[in-house]
Amino acid sequence: MAKEVVSTAKGLERLIEALRVLPGVGPRSAQRMAYYLLQHDRAGAERLGQALGAALQTVRHCAKCNNFTEDEVCALCRSPRRDPSLLCVVETPGDLAMVEQSLGYSGMYFVLMGRLSPLDGVGPRDIGLDRLLARATDGEVQEVILATNFTNEGEATAHYIAEMLRARNVKVSRIARGVPLGGELEYVDAGTISQALLDRRGL
Amino acid sequence: MSAARRRAELEPGFVLHSYPYKETSLIVEAFTLRVGRVGLLARGARRPRSALRGVLLSFHPLRLSWSASVELGTLLAAEWSGGRGALGGFALMCGFYLNELLLRLLPREDPHEALFDAYAASLERLASGEDEAAVLRAFERRLLAELGYAPLLERDAASGAPVDPGRRYAYELDRGPVPVAAAAGGELVVSGQTLLDVARDDYARPQTRDEARALMRTLIAQRLGGQPLHTRSVLRELQEL
Ligand SMILES: [Zn+2]
Repeated sequence: MAKEVVSTAKGLERLIEALRVLPGVGPRSAQRMAYYLLQHDRAGAERLGQALGAALQTVRHCAKCNNFTEDEVCALCRSPRRDPSLLCVVETPGDLAMVEQSLGYSGMYFVLMGRLSPLDGVGPRDIGLDRLLARATDGEVQEVILATNFTNEGEATAHYIAEMLRARNVKVSRIARGVPLGGELEYVDAGTISQALLDRRGL
Repeated sequence: MSAARRRAELEPGFVLHSYPYKETSLIVEAFTLRVGRVGLLARGARRPRSALRGVLLSFHPLRLSWSASVELGTLLAAEWSGGRGALGGFALMCGFYLNELLLRLLPREDPHEALFDAYAASLERLASGEDEAAVLRAFERRLLAELGYAPLLERDAASGAPVDPGRRYAYELDRGPVPVAAAAGGELVVSGQTLLDVARDDYARPQTRDEARALMRTLIAQRLGGQPLHTRSVLRELQEL
């Protein structure tokens, strides 16, 4: 009897430990999730397990844009309706989705899957800058548009990509920043206004 | 520090680094004028419409209000305090380096007002395009001094005599400069002129720059107990690309 209890707890322990790989999930939340799945939604747990296994089998990085795909080259990169001379660099798949939603861009993408973060020890090798360099200098791309975030890490990332591309004679640009569309100055934060003043342009 | 509830109101401070915490929050490591380094929980700071989003950025002077009863305080408010050009390019990497030094070497809640002013002034100098090496070396020396490890620079550690700008000195980590034969080599052999220049924060001379860089690196490494700095290895990787 006692032996069985120990082995049951072991499976539970391993599940709790495994759930902790999720971002923002500590030991307490992991325990809550594990109890919930095993006690109240075993069918959901089954689906979760299968979906996770299947995704690991089939989902990989697109050879051209580095975004998640089930193909060697994703649908967006294969599309004949996209402008192959423009390459927009974003940090995450979520950022790519946002740019796509804007309907204002019809070029190609490269997803870094991260950003340089010197204080966390995240360097160029961790975000595949060598692959971006190869893609940007493949002869097809005429201009690289840097759309990394306007955080210090995003700026550092943009700066080093720009340096590397300029050294290889690739045209580089950075998306503009400032007061949001429809934004009333009264409600915009001071940092944004201060940057918008620094980045002002002649009319 | 006692377990009593501590509050700070509009305390001048800088964000050194922040980490995501749970779904929508942030743990902020800040360096403040009168309390020193503090860890603060910024609830909801990662929500899309959080007012803190555009404010809790490194390298910008802020005013922070918080309350704390345990080690981690709770951020109540953060305000932008004075606009200034953001750091860019290599100066930005230097800013990350300064932040890592403070994160690694300053214990929490240990006030260092003079160092705070030196940090703010260093960021100002980096933002205005001053020579990065001179800014970093001056800050490193200041930091060591504030931690109680001011390097001996103007006197010979063996005899106590003033350092002679024309001589060569071996820098012994736990003592200071000791005169050696003119031909002596080694990583920590520097000219007397370099020692005197460092004491005055004067980095105009190329030899001073090179020797001071090696000297400060070794002195800082000693304080870090041999643990490497992330910013330095990332910078090295970037230079290899
Ligand atoms: Zn693709």
